[in-house]
Amino acid sequence: MRLFPNLNSYRNYKRFVGELTKKYGNFPESFLRRRIRQIEFKTPRGFPQYQPRTIERQNFYFGQHRPWTDEFRNQNSISSKTRIIHVEPIRDWSFFKGDRVEILEGKDKGKQGIVNQVVQERNWVYVEGLNCKLKNENKTKKSLGIYYQDEQPLLVTRDVALVDPSDLQPVSVEWRYTEEGEKVRVSKRTGRIIPIPLQAEETLDYKTRGTYVENKEKDTGEDEVLTITYEPKLKTFEMEIMEAMGIVEDRIPKKTYWY
Amino acid sequence: MFLKRILRSVPVIRDASLRSNDFSRNKQILSAKARTQCQYSTQITPKEEPSEVKPTEHEHNAKLSAEITKQLMQFFDEKDNWGAQRVRVGRAWKKEELRIKSSTDLHKLWYVLLKEKNMLFTMEHECKAEMRVLPNPDRIDKVLESMYNLEEVVRERNKAYHLLETGETGERPFKIVFNKLGLRSFYKLWEHIVPKELHEKWKNHIFSYSHNETKNFLKLYREKLWVKKRRSKLQERRYIFQLFKRFPNVDKEYLKELYPDQDIEKLRQSKLTASHLQQKAN
Amino acid sequence: MSTRWYPIYQKGNPQLRVFLPNFWMKLVKPNVDQPKNVVQFITSVQMTNHDIKNYLEKIYKIPVVKVDTSIVQGEFKKQPDKGYVIKDDDYKRALVTLPRGAEFEFPEIFSKEVKDKEDETLTKHRKELRKGYVEFTAKCKKRPGVPGWFGL
Repeated sequence: MRLFPNLNSYRNYKRFVGELTKKYGNFPESFLRRRIRQIEFKTPRGFPQYQPRTIERQNFYFGQHRPWTDEFRNQNSISSKTRIIHVEPIRDWSFFKGDRVEILEGKDKGKQGIVNQVVQERNWVYVEGLNCKLKNENKTKKSLGIYYQDEQPLLVTRDVALVDPSDLQPVSVEWRYTEEGEKVRVSKRTGRIIPIPLQAEETLDYKTRGTYVENKEKDTGEDEVLTITYEPKLKTFEMEIMEAMGIVEDRIPKKTYWY
Repeated sequence: MFLKRILRSVPVIRDASLRSNDFSRNKQILSAKARTQCQYSTQITPKEEPSEVKPTEHEHNAKLSAEITKQLMQFFDEKDNWGAQRVRVGRAWKKEELRIKSSTDLHKLWYVLLKEKNMLFTMEHECKAEMRVLPNPDRIDKVLESMYNLEEVVRERNKAYHLLETGETGERPFKIVFNKLGLRSFYKLWEHIVPKELHEKWKNHIFSYSHNETKNFLKLYREKLWVKKRRSKLQERRYIFQLFKRFPNVDKEYLKELYPDQDIEKLRQSKLTASHLQQKAN
Repeated sequence: MSTRWYPIYQKGNPQLRVFLPNFWMKLVKPNVDQPKNVVQFITSVQMTNHDIKNYLEKIYKIPVVKVDTSIVQGEFKKQPDKGYVIKDDDYKRALVTLPRGAEFEFPEIFSKEVKDKEDETLTKHRKELRKGYVEFTAKCKKRPGVPGWFGL
């Protein structure tokens, strides 16, 4: 949780929910906001007898779980309390899913791995199979239960560094523009471009953009969308529709006054 | 990628002027009945014509109800999606995609979207009644967003026409006025048949407030706003101290952008930014 | 004007037409048993009987004989854990009569097969939970000097 993460206002929602999170969910904005907010009661809008008031949860905790999941909702249940968590503001985010990174601190220091999950709200990154904790579930007197390795988050600013593809050494990166005007990550030491991996494109609906399968009954095809049928005419929408339907209307509306 | 949504059939609303014709025809029939003053007059006249075989009542009913159920089933999703865990669909229509479509196309698309919206509302209601989850409830938001965008595009076109022809936008006019409490408010104008001078209720209406009556209130109100602002500013300051304490290498330029009201350089010099960890190391 | 402003009508004015209606309707199961040719809807509160009839006839091509409507008040209830009273939104209920002889049966969207399948997994899960609970309570049984509900 950052300072004033009161997501009830649209401005704060835009600022505090990470861009990558929104991209991964691939939901319309209104849906994601609806999903995050926990409105207890809202006065009916558009009537003069009601003040515009809503009673809802003010502060939210952001952790491993994505904001549209039920786990997120449970974490932010009515009884749970939040405390202020300080997060360093970062201007240009440079860690994506599928990136090769080296761990700089902790028990797996010096090892390299591939980024599994990004939590932009907390500056966290999960690396596949590294920085794990041994966890146990369902342990009883009769059975040992299940043991498993659980990946722990790593702070982007302190614990990990991107790996230069030319010499496989950790580097700090910079965002620059190519001559074509593309924005790319460049290693500060060698000046080599570090390409953004394909896995970063993944959303809940598809792995990569090319592999999305169209819903034939509900989706409109690309060709149909791109065909231009608009012809500019000196007519309003209503006049054009009336012409197409053959409705003739000669009566002239009488004058009215606005005040 | 362009993954759009719209649906199968393309319905066109029938001529709205038909309504008046229907009405007049009914009127004629009614008047004819009234003149003859005989309820069953139409049953006496028909001559025997052997050519057409009339369907029985049962057949007629079956045909009628089949037709009606077919139409009413538009309120429900496709059968494959009943009880499905997930229905994968594309995104909503964007404004720039709708701008290249002709008005008649937009008109057709509106009814497709309207039907889809009704379908989703029906399914949502039914799922709730059966204590089940609607698969992909974000479909509702996608349809609503598309409809909103479509309406905006239509509005743009009409605005352009009105500005060209009359020099006005053609929208409902508004102005910003002071209410009785002395606060600024957004007032949408109303349409009237008579001009203001002749309207008894509106003749003497003035948008203003008495300074003497609202003076005290406004003073307190402004103080409240100012206290709120000051408090949030102090909270921000405290938060920035903590940021410097925990992350000594934080990007100062970016902080200046995020908190334009704060003097970041001055805050950095404060004792409160010193970390206890650093002191230990020293 | 393409805003949602509905202009006032004066005698001799052009006919008022709605080209982009934003009314919604949803088909629901009737809450009381109805004749076979009666269908129940929930609609936007602003819709009149005439609107509903036109909407169904023009957009859905369904012949309508009669429309009955009533506005149903939303439910008043207490907010759980808080105690203050909240109210659901009002809605309009419409009973639409189709022509004589027409029949419509509300489809069974969640069939028995689907329900049974889901129930199986649920009962399995419930059994496991129950088993865990029994084991947990067995642990808490022997506690001298403490009431029986203490461990729960």
